Amino acid sequence: MRSFRTYVSLIPLALAGVLLPGAAFAQPSGVLVIAENETPENLDPANATNSTVNQLLIGAYDTLVQFTAGETQVSPRIATAWEISEDGLAYTFTLREDVTFHDGTPLTAEDVKFTLDRLQAASANVLNDMGPFAGAEVVDEKTVVLRLSEPFGPFISALSRIYIVNKALVEPHMGEDNARQFLAVNGAGSGPYQITGYSPTEAVTLRAFPDYWGGWDGSHVEEVVFRYVSEPSTQLSLLQRGEVHIAPDLTVEDKLALMDTPGFKVDIGAAATPLFFAFNTAGEGPTSDPEFRRMLAMTFDRELHLEQVLMGFGNLPDGPLPVGWLGHEPGTEAEFDLEAARALVDENGWAGTNLLVRYLPAIQEEQRAVEQLQSNLSQIGINLQAEGMTWPAQAATVTSIETTSDINMLYNFPSFPDPHAVLNTTFNSALSGANGGYNWSQYSNPEVDELLNAAATSSDPEERAELYRQVQRLVGEDHVVITVSNPGSVVAMAENVSGYVYNAAHHQTFNYMDISLD
Amino acid sequence: MSYVVQRIAFSILSLFILLFVTFLLSQVVAGDPALIAAGPNAGAAKIAELRQQMGLDQPIFVQFGIYVGNILQGNLGTSWFTQQPIARDLMRELPPSLELVFLAMLINLAVSMPMGLLTARFAHTKFDDAVRLVVLAGAGLPVFWIAIILQQVVAGNWGILPIAGRLSFSNRDFSGATGFYLLDSLMQGNLNVFIDTLAHLALPAFALSLLFTAVGVRITRTSMINEFRKDYVTLARAKGAGEGRVMFRHVFANGATPALTVFGMQFGWMLGATVLVEEIFGRPGIGRYAIKAVTQSDIHAVVAVVFVVGVVFLIANLIVDMLVYALSPRKQRAG
Amino acid sequence: MRTLWTYARTNVERTALILAAIVILLAIFGAWLAPFDPTQIDFRARLQAPSWEHLLGTDGSGRDVLSRLLHGAQITILSTLAVLSVVVVFGCAVGMFSAFVGGPIDNMLMRLADVWLGFPPLILALGFASALGASLEAAIWALIFSWWPNYARLTRMVTVDILSRKFIASADALGVPTHAKVTRYVIPNAFDVLIVQVTLDISAIMLAISGLSFIGVGAQIPMPEWGAMIADGRSYVANGWWIVLAPGLMIFLTAFSFNVIGDMLRRELDPTSRRRQP
Repeated sequence: MRSFRTYVSLIPLALAGVLLPGAAFAQPSGVLVIAENETPENLDPANATNSTVNQLLIGAYDTLVQFTAGETQVSPRIATAWEISEDGLAYTFTLREDVTFHDGTPLTAEDVKFTLDRLQAASANVLNDMGPFAGAEVVDEKTVVLRLSEPFGPFISALSRIYIVNKALVEPHMGEDNARQFLAVNGAGSGPYQITGYSPTEAVTLRAFPDYWGGWDGSHVEEVVFRYVSEPSTQLSLLQRGEVHIAPDLTVEDKLALMDTPGFKVDIGAAATPLFFAFNTAGEGPTSDPEFRRMLAMTFDRELHLEQVLMGFGNLPDGPLPVGWLGHEPGTEAEFDLEAARALVDENGWAGTNLLVRYLPAIQEEQRAVEQLQSNLSQIGINLQAEGMTWPAQAATVTSIETTSDINMLYNFPSFPDPHAVLNTTFNSALSGANGGYNWSQYSNPEVDELLNAAATSSDPEERAELYRQVQRLVGEDHVVITVSNPGSVVAMAENVSGYVYNAAHHQTFNYMDISLD
Repeated sequence: MSYVVQRIAFSILSLFILLFVTFLLSQVVAGDPALIAAGPNAGAAKIAELRQQMGLDQPIFVQFGIYVGNILQGNLGTSWFTQQPIARDLMRELPPSLELVFLAMLINLAVSMPMGLLTARFAHTKFDDAVRLVVLAGAGLPVFWIAIILQQVVAGNWGILPIAGRLSFSNRDFSGATGFYLLDSLMQGNLNVFIDTLAHLALPAFALSLLFTAVGVRITRTSMINEFRKDYVTLARAKGAGEGRVMFRHVFANGATPALTVFGMQFGWMLGATVLVEEIFGRPGIGRYAIKAVTQSDIHAVVAVVFVVGVVFLIANLIVDMLVYALSPRKQRAG
Repeated sequence: MRTLWTYARTNVERTALILAAIVILLAIFGAWLAPFDPTQIDFRARLQAPSWEHLLGTDGSGRDVLSRLLHGAQITILSTLAVLSVVVVFGCAVGMFSAFVGGPIDNMLMRLADVWLGFPPLILALGFASALGASLEAAIWALIFSWWPNYARLTRMVTVDILSRKFIASADALGVPTHAKVTRYVIPNAFDVLIVQVTLDISAIMLAISGLSFIGVGAQIPMPEWGAMIADGRSYVANGWWIVLAPGLMIFLTAFSFNVIGDMLRRELDPTSRRRQP
């Protein structure tokens, strides 16, 4: 076995040695309160694709490798080193010796294998980003091999959402549901914080875990509270009263105002989370006609959206892939041109067509975007009905083509900054909504699938870039989505919060393990 | 005694109808429960398996049997999204809601009883007309609107009462045996938490009580007017009893009981109306749970909420009727 | 209409009649009066305070609040009427049927109605809406589903009362058929009681519909239903108070007017209430 480095260059392994336990023990102190508008489904690491779940778990569990907030490449965590077989099908990880779970059990290779086995058995969402992952093997207590059925470039990055659970604790609860019920309300991790209170309609509390393997160097908070406050205006009042420290869900107007208000600050993170109107390409409805989709694609004014809905917080999208990413191809999506759309409607006699869009009213940007589309479509004689839902309900409607509405609105939160995480997730037919993925257009184009799979297995950046460019051109010709925006991550907080850094690989989470209150 | 037996029999019959209606409700669900239950990653085989597991391939009366059997065992099903037994979820969400409803009911009674008595005593005077107007206005107030305005003005602008939540941040670690913080804090002798709980309850309870108080005043008034008209009142007055004595010893004591029945029914309705205030005030509770369940199409959880609120309604009415029975010996002959 | 006016004894009652008439007129003509398109967004004009151009300001998407209110009147009134008409027809049919049949069926039906009434209407409607998906139609059906027993009980009570009167016995002796008894005696006699109940229910149903829309299971965007408008304006309550205030006031004034009228009608029409007058 010859080892080589993947295109994801590794942070020097020496870094891990810096964080030896007991080096300089600074007692964590204070309580950090974070407001959040949507309540979590549960605490199960299998649901970590959902940001409301992920934001709780990110500090409560450890992963083999992780993206540190602010960095675009993974660094070692539980794994200190890894080797990749020449054929790219076997990844051998060496684990740290000193990691214990919150109940004192040492973390071993068995736990890693158990975690992955369980996720496979539960056909968990988090595995969607893991490509052709086949299975895990324990070599010895501190060595584990992960096997792939074919090479997969971004594999190491994808491991950043695989939260390792305590086998000894979870296995007795496996039962028929693969411990879903148990892990839904119980923590089983080894991270710096431990979930100590879970009341899903009110708050979730985490406390610093004193025996954390990374030690408690620097300043940290002792307790973190996620408080569920659905209303932006209530979040604002609570922030102003000092009852919460971080308020991510304020209206854009309020965020703008807070920028100039003493005592508060507003962090603007360069997020890359494209928002899509995904057209149902597979159903019986009008959107199955590519020509009809071409018309729809011209009815959304992205510039107005960026300027007036996002108030400039974000980037103008140019196609599904964020501008500046590897393989970005400009000019693949139709420009806003209502008159051309009107001409198409008149030509084809589409006036009076009824369409349904499903979206999340809890997210102001989505509601405004739907209103914008409704307003434009009504001008050219097309009636767009909207149905507001919550995330799990909307996700349930796309599990079959029949129940998928004409248009679905969704964000893509790439789990690592690689075109694969945006394009494969959104356009590969293997990840269609009906197959349990986030391709909610139910888009199926063998040519696109082939290109995406080829790009995933290649490790040559130039080759990958070219493949992804082709994907974007094909998808653009088929008018599968409207890329509405690339909103920035705008988070308002009290001035005494220090250490917050936006994490692009874990959008809508907070690096509470690095934050302190002055 | 026969009244008590009859009344309990009626409650059991009502419970059965309740079971039937909630079962029907779970049947009219659009879409396939198995499909939704299976979650986003399931294949056809898994869905078929679930359908069998959930008894969806059985005839409808067998399904009803399964449903009743499950509920009698305290099994309200498993929430598709919290992955938890719904009964456990509801046991957690019920105390904060009941606490809110109790306080709102207290406000209701504290206003309705004296106002009802006074407007009955001074019926068809300017005072009565003015109260009637206030009452009609109160009955036209959208609860959620007044809740938002109270929150914004009283808590936000004036900063008098807490904006949201169940307890202040400093008391976040408080917990008690019953889940009713007012009760728990008293039992632990923790006056600070008691006052804090009360402060957090004040605005939502007031907003919730408005509509019901408006109705309560009218009902009490009607009931009292009937009482004032009775012979014994005339007799008592003729005997030279003071007006105060007539009002409180006679009219109030007797006239309050029929009104109690209505307040018993209001209790259940109030519990339902928590859906309009809990979310606004960021309080945990069954109303917020219900909205979440509905928007997530968590049908089992929705049906369970309907069932549990219905049961609370039945129990509240039973208790009140028993109370009325115990309070008035004349009821025995009537019933 | 003129009869209604003669019933009014106080200025409040006259005001309520005028207000109710205005709301009904708005429901019919409001769409023509609206100065702007209620769904046409204009982000650049968002959150404008009331001015001569926008008398009630603009909302978070720059839509004219006044125009939305005017269009909303129609939605509110029509959906309330939709609920009421179905509920009254169905409830009365069940009630009369129950009264005419009598015996165990009557007993069973009324028990069912009793228990049904025990469900808080909002919770029951929520349950129903969850089955139908979130839309205004679903909310309307949900309320119909939870409201009918009110009318079943009321009509049964009235019908039983009428059937026990002497003229029915003589009608029976003359061999008058049931349907004739219903049209000739029951409906005219029940009418007064029903009209009072309907007027009082207008406000209750209106509040329920707007409540359901407020919590997101009723009217969907961009429909300017009043409850949905409050929900939409909630985020701006600190810097756009008019968005929340205006629709709330409309709901309140409409509900209040119908309450006053209902109360007035009860005084004038309901025999049980008239007896109570000293």
